[in-house]
Amino acid sequence: MNAKNGHQYAMVIDLDRCIGCHACALACRAEWQVPVPYRRNWLKRLGPEKTPYGISQTFYPGLCNHCDAPACITVCPVDPEEREFRCPDTGKTIKMAVRATYKEPFTGIVLIDKERCIGCGACVEACPYGARYLNEELDEPKADKCTFCFERIRYGEPPACVKTCVADARIFGDLTDKNSEVYKLVKKGAIRLRTKEVDLGPNVYYIGQKKDLHLLKETCAPRERTWENVKAPDRRRIIMAIAKQLRNLG
Amino acid sequence: MKRRQFLKLSAASCAALAAMEFKTKGFLRPSSSYAGTKEQLPGSLGSKEITSVCEMCFWRCPIVVKVKNGKVVKIEGNPRSPSNGSRVCARGNSGIQLLYDPDRVKYPLKRVGARGEGKWTRISWNEALDEVAHNIKKVKAKYGSHALAFFDHGASAEYFREIFKALGTENYSNEPAFFQCVGPVAVAYLSTLGYIVSGTRQYVDMSNTKAILLVGSHLGENLHVSHVREFVEGLARGAKLIVVDPRFSTAAGKADLWLPIRPGTDTALLLAWINYVIQNNLYDKDFVKKNCRGFKELKEAVKEYDLKWASRICDLDQKDIKTAIEILAASRPQVVIYPGRHSAWYGKGDVQRHRCLAILAALFGAIGVRGGIYFPTPIPIGEAECLIGVEEAEESDTPLKEKFPFADPFPGSPTDEIIKATLTGKPYPIKLWGVCGVNLLQTIPNPYQTMEAIKKLDFIFSVEILPTETAIWSDIILPDATYLERYDHVYKNDELHPFITLRQPAIKPLGEARSPYWIAQQLAKRLGLSLFTCENEVAYLNSQLKEIGLSVEKLVQKGGLVTFPAKSYRDPKKGLQLPTDSGKVELYCENFADEDLDPVPKFEPTPAPPRGYARLIYGRVPVHTFSRTMNNLWLHNEWPENQVWINDEVAARLGIKNGDTVILVNQDGFKSNPIKAKVTPGIRPDVLYVAHGFGSRSPRLTKAYQKGVSDQFLITHYVEDPFMGASSHRTNFVKIIKDGKILDIPELRPLPPEIPRFEIRKG
Repeated sequence: MNAKNGHQYAMVIDLDRCIGCHACALACRAEWQVPVPYRRNWLKRLGPEKTPYGISQTFYPGLCNHCDAPACITVCPVDPEEREFRCPDTGKTIKMAVRATYKEPFTGIVLIDKERCIGCGACVEACPYGARYLNEELDEPKADKCTFCFERIRYGEPPACVKTCVADARIFGDLTDKNSEVYKLVKKGAIRLRTKEVDLGPNVYYIGQKKDLHLLKETCAPRERTWENVKAPDRRRIIMAIAKQLRNLG
Repeated sequence: MKRRQFLKLSAASCAALAAMEFKTKGFLRPSSSYAGTKEQLPGSLGSKEITSVCEMCFWRCPIVVKVKNGKVVKIEGNPRSPSNGSRVCARGNSGIQLLYDPDRVKYPLKRVGARGEGKWTRISWNEALDEVAHNIKKVKAKYGSHALAFFDHGASAEYFREIFKALGTENYSNEPAFFQCVGPVAVAYLSTLGYIVSGTRQYVDMSNTKAILLVGSHLGENLHVSHVREFVEGLARGAKLIVVDPRFSTAAGKADLWLPIRPGTDTALLLAWINYVIQNNLYDKDFVKKNCRGFKELKEAVKEYDLKWASRICDLDQKDIKTAIEILAASRPQVVIYPGRHSAWYGKGDVQRHRCLAILAALFGAIGVRGGIYFPTPIPIGEAECLIGVEEAEESDTPLKEKFPFADPFPGSPTDEIIKATLTGKPYPIKLWGVCGVNLLQTIPNPYQTMEAIKKLDFIFSVEILPTETAIWSDIILPDATYLERYDHVYKNDELHPFITLRQPAIKPLGEARSPYWIAQQLAKRLGLSLFTCENEVAYLNSQLKEIGLSVEKLVQKGGLVTFPAKSYRDPKKGLQLPTDSGKVELYCENFADEDLDPVPKFEPTPAPPRGYARLIYGRVPVHTFSRTMNNLWLHNEWPENQVWINDEVAARLGIKNGDTVILVNQDGFKSNPIKAKVTPGIRPDVLYVAHGFGSRSPRLTKAYQKGVSDQFLITHYVEDPFMGASSHRTNFVKIIKDGKILDIPELRPLPPEIPRFEIRKG
């Protein structure tokens, strides 16, 4: 968890409650008018498959993990620019040099500055969860992803996926607040999708039956992303976008 | 003959359940205040909010429709609703894409090509309505009222049904809600408990229970928000779950015990359990003594059915079935013996299977109690006079349901009987069909027969939103408004947290689509029927709401929803007063005996797959409703096509790998579209499973067309239920075709000799 400046929002998803209805995915699409076939969040159906603990059929409700050490930020080629951030609760301000994608200091939410995004797609390729997409429906393609409904929580509204969750399986809150339910559930042993090789400090957690968590980890663990993984057309796009930016700067 | 009495019972069932006190607790919705121009706020923030009621399925969750710049941008649950709060399911969230579907029928259309070809020309409303009215009058004059038939489902259909009733025909189908779905379970509970525990809704208190038994019910895949919430809540509070299902469903994934039963043997298991409960004194003796009739006959009739026998018949582990019944018994009376919903499975034993479930619940005393079956709370609002016709249908000379002794209390005629009469002209010709809200070809067994019947008609019209495969067979299509564009009835919820609410338009109908009230009113006028005499929807809604001191305006002011206190449980000090003949639970059903039907359920095996075949079973996916939502852009993207579930051992023997493309062929030689194989240990080796509603045959549904496989087009053999005439859906068998070769399904679980095999028709 990254609590340097204030809070770290996080989500715990209870697979015992989740019935795999996909409402989360659709509410997100509706709220942010995410064009088909792109997604900011998703529900994958797993199983039925045998596990050491019995047959499991469960779900992978996934979204941006708002990682503590986000790979997407590291690879963003846009020159850092100083920006002032303000905490809506305390009024406190912080100045920070950020790229086109950055971790908002008061919430720990990873955001994209659409004005400055050059649409290269490097962040899309870097995310080991596949949580980002490049919206090529726009005249100038831009990266997009889940924001934990940053705008909505500022207005006191829960994230769209949480609000619609039929089974109340999504628990959202501040991990730095010891009284929050997310904090308590994480303390109790909620798991994260990470491996020895890929551990960016994700802030989405899962709880559930042993067999279901086993299947989830087996099938949906993050995979290391390397430049070799990037397909030729995507590589070309990333290089071209960076080159164009360099030209503009020059 | 007890039929009339039976009819009275159903009326009594409402009255007998205690009258309720009415109290409004409405208050104004909290208004949210934002700075700046509201509509400029991101996402759906700052929208204009209109309370309404969803119709993406029939569950009708209260919703709030969010509108910005005249466009619907978001749909959420109505936070005032005690059943769903601010939640809606995937479909509820995607209503916008029904509204704005570019494939929608937005103008009245007249067929120009051959019937079924799907070629139309746009005509005016006057022309369309005149033509429909003219044809109705013509057919009625030439062949009589019975030559008119109407296939109906959903909110819109309710208006047009009144027209057909007033025209004097009994040939409306109340379909698919009844004759393809809940008919058998409705008869079972009406006969046993005197009221319909499972019709549109299922009155079981899952959130307060200690154990739940599901027999072939796929809660979670079959998704209704408040119901699933209660299910999840019950499990979260520690309720044990037993799932009896040949497939490892979503519910099975949460179960303490999954019993992968041989299809068609559920009644054997239930009878053995009933016997076990009686033999081992696990039943509620006091409850049975005070509130049940026919215990002695029951005990005698089930005494041969033991667990060992059931284990062999059902192909289940004897230890497991013993553990299961002991878990259920230990929880009584806080135990939910789930009544089931879609029960038109095998035709013959369906009513008796659900009778067994009702009997088991009664033995546990789980009737009218917290955590068991509960009573619906009557809500004192009648129908608006100006809406419902005063004329009753004339008594028919040869009603199509005459051979079904327990069909009488239910409205309409069995769907397949209407189709057969249309096809054969017997017992009388049927020459005109109206269709509203139901895609017949994707719903009724043997769609090939349905298409042949349509060819025999003088005229067929539909009132539809989308050009479904049934709509494209129509001579005239009248464009219906979606639920987001119109008013409808006052909706009453009589569950554990009763309320009333109403639908209202969020925007004006697109194109020339019109509200069903308007369409029905125009049609009634042309037919000279004195129906729909209120000027408009608001007028009839106000006449309905007046009775309880409300109006549309007042109800909307109260947040679109008013709650009522519930009367769901019986008074433990008093005995049960059920609306049955005896006022008690009818363990032994005399009405059945009078009709030469078994008064206590017996096990009669349904034919097993012929050698080389597997039984075709089907179910739902949580993002789709019937075959109605497959063309919805968002839902289609979420789940574009179905897969066929194949047992892993069977697949290994046949050389089929996960993701392989195969074709299914049924016992009558009908083939499916290509479909991907899902190879899994989560299904028995003697069944193949596909989700229902896919494989659209309408090229006008540009997204859904030919995507996935239609189970219905493989369901060509059906058996009628002898009680009320439902048509069976699980009586078909399939083989797999891979790379052009027809593969025999190996029989990995040998069949006991008591169970006959299905015999394939020759030629």
